[in-house]
Amino acid sequence: MMVLPKFEYKKARSVAEAVTLYKQQKGKARYLAGGTDLIPLIKHKLSTPKAVIDLKGIGEMKTIDQRDGWLAVGANVTLFDLKNDSVTGKYFPALYESLDATSCETLQMRGTIGGNILQDTRCLEYNQSLEWRTARGFCLRMGGSECNVVKGARTCFANYCSDNAPALITLSAEVTLVGPEGERRMKLGNLFTGDGIKPFALEAGEILTQILIPMKKTKGAYEKLRVRDSIDYPLVGVAVSAAGAKARVCVGGVGLAPQVYDLKNAGDAAAVKEAADKASADARPVANGTLTPAYRKKMVGVLLKRAVKRVFAEGK
Amino acid sequence: MKDDLNIVGKRVVRSDSLAKVTGEARYTADLQFPNMLVAKVLRSPYPHARIAGIDVSGALKVPGVKAAISGFDSYGVKWGVFRYTQDHAMLHTDKVRYIGEDIAAVAAVDEETAIEALSHIKVDYEPLPAVYDPIESMEDGAPQIHDQYKNNINVHIHIDVGEVDKAMEKAFLVREDTFKAAGEAYAMMEPYAVVASYKNGYLDLYMPNAGPHVRAKALSNMLKLPLNRVRIRHINSGGAFGGRSEVAPGDLVASLLAIKSGRPVKLVLSREENAKSSRQVHDIIATIKTGMKKDGTILAKDYKVIYDGGAYSSTGPIATSIPFYVYEECYRFPNVRYNGYRVFTNKGIRGMYGCHGRAFLAGNEAQMDVMAKELGLDPMDVRLKNGLRPGEVTATKSKITSCGLKETILAAAEKTNFKKRWAKPSKLKGVGMGCVAIMCGFPMGFRSGSSCYVKINDDGQVTLVTGLVDNGQGNESMVIQVASEVLGVPMKDINLVCADTEVTNLDPGAYSQAAAFVGANAVRVACENARKQVVSIAAEKLGVKEADIGLKDGSAYSMKDPDKKMPISWVVREAFFRGEPIVATGSFFPNIDFEREWVTRPWGQMAGTFSFGTSVAEIDIDAETGRITIPRFTSAHDCGRAINPMAVEGQMEGSIQQAGVAAITEGNLWDKGHLLNPDLLEYKVPLACDMPDMDTIIISSRDPAGPFGAKEGGLTVRMNAYSAVACALTNATGELFTELPLTPDKVMKILERKKGVK
Repeated sequence: MMVLPKFEYKKARSVAEAVTLYKQQKGKARYLAGGTDLIPLIKHKLSTPKAVIDLKGIGEMKTIDQRDGWLAVGANVTLFDLKNDSVTGKYFPALYESLDATSCETLQMRGTIGGNILQDTRCLEYNQSLEWRTARGFCLRMGGSECNVVKGARTCFANYCSDNAPALITLSAEVTLVGPEGERRMKLGNLFTGDGIKPFALEAGEILTQILIPMKKTKGAYEKLRVRDSIDYPLVGVAVSAAGAKARVCVGGVGLAPQVYDLKNAGDAAAVKEAADKASADARPVANGTLTPAYRKKMVGVLLKRAVKRVFAEGK
Repeated sequence: MKDDLNIVGKRVVRSDSLAKVTGEARYTADLQFPNMLVAKVLRSPYPHARIAGIDVSGALKVPGVKAAISGFDSYGVKWGVFRYTQDHAMLHTDKVRYIGEDIAAVAAVDEETAIEALSHIKVDYEPLPAVYDPIESMEDGAPQIHDQYKNNINVHIHIDVGEVDKAMEKAFLVREDTFKAAGEAYAMMEPYAVVASYKNGYLDLYMPNAGPHVRAKALSNMLKLPLNRVRIRHINSGGAFGGRSEVAPGDLVASLLAIKSGRPVKLVLSREENAKSSRQVHDIIATIKTGMKKDGTILAKDYKVIYDGGAYSSTGPIATSIPFYVYEECYRFPNVRYNGYRVFTNKGIRGMYGCHGRAFLAGNEAQMDVMAKELGLDPMDVRLKNGLRPGEVTATKSKITSCGLKETILAAAEKTNFKKRWAKPSKLKGVGMGCVAIMCGFPMGFRSGSSCYVKINDDGQVTLVTGLVDNGQGNESMVIQVASEVLGVPMKDINLVCADTEVTNLDPGAYSQAAAFVGANAVRVACENARKQVVSIAAEKLGVKEADIGLKDGSAYSMKDPDKKMPISWVVREAFFRGEPIVATGSFFPNIDFEREWVTRPWGQMAGTFSFGTSVAEIDIDAETGRITIPRFTSAHDCGRAINPMAVEGQMEGSIQQAGVAAITEGNLWDKGHLLNPDLLEYKVPLACDMPDMDTIIISSRDPAGPFGAKEGGLTVRMNAYSAVACALTNATGELFTELPLTPDKVMKILERKKGVK
């Protein structure tokens, strides 16, 4: 019964107007950009907003500019447009690859970079219809008493499945947030709380308006584990960006928040192996994706080594 | 058999293609009728529960609701394909047996109202212990799902030919392995939909179906309506693959609601409902023991195969048998024992599938390769040595007439340089071969044959009327092409009326691969009878002998003197003047042993003929991730003469995707009775980017009884493509697979097992 439940639809022309609309709805509203994440959530009744505030019409969120040593990317820029921006491929190969690996081109043309970063965490036992979840019994995150994947667990093991946030984190990206309390800026890596109920450190009504990436040329790569070559979310995703011998690695697709690892000398095979082993050890995948947790855990290290190797072997 | 054919054998654009690619073609969900209501079904949240009561009165109070029903509004007649498998009331009043089972339903003026109304239906459940694993289900003390089936064993097929135990003792090499496979989703593009209306005591229905006549009969039984008052009409079908053969709970639901409300009712299942509550594919565990002579000759086979049947019988006896038969129709088994068990579990109902039996078939073929290797033999030679030849009889006494198995093996091997590559696989690259045969039709009683009525109209155009069904594979276009050949009338001038119980005659339907061999044969015979009438008048009018008359491009002409000719329309008008319009019937009934019965007498002629096929997969395995890629796939198919080679190739390519590439991606995932991937995001149907380069090779064996020599086209690839992939894995790793699909985690385990052995 995938009928889209009814909600009020509001279209904002500016960030300020969007925040005002949000305040008018007394918090019972969701912001809408491309909708590729939000609409399925609403259909599954995982999100039940009274109103949806459409940000797509906000021109100031659609631009890509270079200023003061940063590339400022409006959150409304589509994944496809960002991928095809000449700066992305030239300066940020990890980001280019993660954008290219996101879903399929049709959805890249619809999905926005802001929406991609703020996509909800995913779980095979969570991203299901209300009828399905009712038959299963609600999990912790839906107000139940325990996790439905790990029996007895009082914590959520959903996966954060953005391909692009890990890549942006390796590039030391920051984000601008605008909300009822004004504007603030934070490191993208600090956006993640690790809390299954509230995975993002956003205040009520805050809008992610832009992503800022330091304008430094990097080498980089993104490795993604998935069953099919398109559409699928990552079961593990590893981004690497490097400047000189120093590299930053970020692991996504497993757990609630991307994990970062710094390599002082990515040319040192032992150091890379150590980081790979640590990343594998840190990862705590559970049986909430289509491949086994033990395998996904192992692949964290494998893909990390593979991504680093590719960056340094290709001499990008 | 004449070989100078005008259109049969030509690559023609299918008659249905334009409407389908432009979106003009209508499907059930597209239908709109005045005053039509929308139906929604309330489904069981329990895998197993007693129903203490159902109260739909609350739903009826919701404004806009026009009818609400439960099993208490039906006669409780239980459906079964066979008399001895009648166990499915479709709307039960005593208990529910799987999550998603139909309980009650409403019809309302719109979808939102119907959904709202469902929440006002009260069902009083008493949950019962449930069982999800077929092995556990067979154990003493397991929850009993149906009272009449002890140990939850729904069907036991026992076949025993020759002396298996003695032969095993004599064999030079004996090997036993167990293979598992997850059940698949049919994943038809069109989720199930049905439109029903009821007027003056007559029920009228549209739905995607594989056989309207058998569906009408089932509904007339369940609704206690005379058969002539249930009409199933023609509508385009968005795929079936075996999943639309039987009457569905939705048919009963929509019918009851239409009868109650007196208004047309449309029920369209969501993708999730389609996956959970319409029939899906069996999980299978196949234990295969093979005894071989030193030269690779198969001496004996001993099988134990367990099919997870879900909650009801469905096509149970057939589904429990088919994997065995398509294999014994391919190879010579002097001694063979087959024990197939279909076991009930508290999961959705499992039915027949075009690719049915992958654990069994891929297991057999992969094991054959391991044994060949141990004996120092080439697997292609072993297949040729054991493969059936024309004129041979299978273990269960089916005579093979036309048989191009050998040619398919040789063609596929030559195209891929199979022998050389198999003997020396490069690191984690493998090549594998899978073979199979398919019966073209099987015993379906008096519904096993087909008949056709043809008339030629006063403008020279033709109307064909046949019970034949097209589920998307191109059957409609196929029979138009056959008629065009016989009558010399262009395809565009032939109208087809098909699959409508009120006007068409019995036909096996798009079931058991009978459409080409049986359905098209009946069309051919009818058209030949009409042709005789045309030729007789034309010969008289043109003053030439009947034997000299040819029909082409809508004209009758003298083959000796082509200037002597007249339009067929003139012939038809003359026939009308004579009070003898050009009308004819024709029928075809295949040579089948109707004493054959799936459980009680599993021997005798299975079908009028058999098709054959060989697939070769080439795979690469990523040593670090276990991920398989399939750069190239080659299939050779003996489909008799291909009536439309382009359509056959399309079927072969679709089969490579649905069975071959699916062997590395597709499988249902369960958490007890909960289907974890009832959608097309997590159920991994291969995408265009996952497809290999494909070579399709048609081998024309020219079947003596098939229409223009044709047999079924495409299905052999659906039943051998996964074998080719499994065998390629064995070639690449030296290891047998243990479970399909071969997702990277499972492949990694195989690679680790291999390392452990070293």
